[in-house]
Amino acid sequence: MKSKVFAVRTWKEIMRDPLSYIFCLGFPLVMLVIMSVIDKSIPAEAGMQVFRIRNLAPGISYFGLTFVMLFTGIQVSKDRTTALLLRLYASPMKPVEYIFGYTMPVVVLAVMQMVICFSVSFVIGLCTGNSLAVTEMLLSMLALLPSVFLFVGFGILFGTLVNEKAAPGLCSILISAAGMIGGIWMDVDGLGGAIKTVARALPFYHGVSLARLPFGETAEGAVEHLLWTIVCGAAVYGLAVTVFRSKMKKDIR
Amino acid sequence: MREAEGRAEMKYGIEIKGLRKEFGSKVAVKALDLRIPEGSLYALLGVNGAGKTTTIRMLTGLTKPTGGQAYVMGHSISSELDEVKKLVNISPQETSVAPNLTVRENLEFIAGIYGFDKAKTVEKVREMLAQFSMEEVEHQKAKTLSGGWQRKLNIAMALITEPKVLFLDEPTLGIDVLARRELWRKIEALKGKITIVLTTHYMEEAESLADEIAIMAKGELMAVGSPKELMRRTESDCLEDAFVKIVEGVSYEE
Repeated sequence: MKSKVFAVRTWKEIMRDPLSYIFCLGFPLVMLVIMSVIDKSIPAEAGMQVFRIRNLAPGISYFGLTFVMLFTGIQVSKDRTTALLLRLYASPMKPVEYIFGYTMPVVVLAVMQMVICFSVSFVIGLCTGNSLAVTEMLLSMLALLPSVFLFVGFGILFGTLVNEKAAPGLCSILISAAGMIGGIWMDVDGLGGAIKTVARALPFYHGVSLARLPFGETAEGAVEHLLWTIVCGAAVYGLAVTVFRSKMKKDIR
Repeated sequence: MREAEGRAEMKYGIEIKGLRKEFGSKVAVKALDLRIPEGSLYALLGVNGAGKTTTIRMLTGLTKPTGGQAYVMGHSISSELDEVKKLVNISPQETSVAPNLTVRENLEFIAGIYGFDKAKTVEKVREMLAQFSMEEVEHQKAKTLSGGWQRKLNIAMALITEPKVLFLDEPTLGIDVLARRELWRKIEALKGKITIVLTTHYMEEAESLADEIAIMAKGELMAVGSPKELMRRTESDCLEDAFVKIVEGVSYEE
């Protein structure tokens, strides 16, 4: 009950910030449209697949999650710098209720963002003659869920460890990393070499690849991508919970 | 609990015995002993770093004591902290409101955190809005309020949970004289109903509101008494002079 009350408060705080709409929704949608236009301009003989709507839709949906991380980080760090958490620490709320209260609203936000991204992609697909099937989109959204927890985990972690000014900076490093070596903006498989080795060692490439699987022709690498995504999502989220609890204990020592 | 039951008869809102707090080698509070009668308004005075805020933080569970014991409404802050947290609330020194929530939503939020059902939340929010004359700003976002309104909301958010003991940590810091006087009237109206512990740097605030005053310096309790008693003992014309004499260690009648 307390966690629900806290979750509603977090939801209102995030949704009443106009920047949430600009970054969580506006920016990914603008990128979706721009990249679709770029794709139309690339000659077919170039064999460039990364901006095709079947690759772009899951890629942009993944990219959108990085902004959910940004807003989670800002919210947690803002709460810590204002004295609101001090007041709440003096209340009968338990650490698990804070975690739930931060997680639930941003998970809902991430799912809404995915639904909107795929809906717009569906329309773009119809316009460009590359229609996306509803089952493919639903499976892709399902495949993105572990990554939601990965980015929410990063958001809570950064928000707990650094202040409101530093959290966006740290998040922007991951936003860039996810976009580039995650394979959203470039074909990591085509590059190979050290870039691919680094990409395979991080969760982003696997998360993007997993989200693209329902739109692909083969299920190659499915188990590897699934395991990496789930293990990394659980590990980062688990670490965030542990760090938040330990920081809370330290605050009241 | 047996310990707590025994203490419940004593009618002390707060009973502190040898309470101590160390941060590394620095001693913030040195073996503090204090009894605050239930329903009284008690002011904790001291210069910066005297240990007032640390004492309040220990009594509200925001800091763990290094030693000693304290009881809030008969419950130990060490072994019955969950019970203590249900009985106390704090209006922190810094304004602690949810900035994007309206005044009404902030009050509803805190009522929900303390487990109030819908009907009780509606009733208590209405009561707080009326008590603090906040009806005209109830739909305004907290971040758009003036300092005075934010301070009022800060206290209303502490009071809505029906605490038996309310800690007001410098409640009028940084607000204009009219807003301060208005807040004094609100605080004065609570006297006798709940136990209030007030910290302040404004001597006239303590003189005007407090039943009793405890003066702390360097983590130690220097003097306890009513404003008039402290002035008489130090042969001072005003509380500020009495405070300075006590803190500077000028000898006076015990």
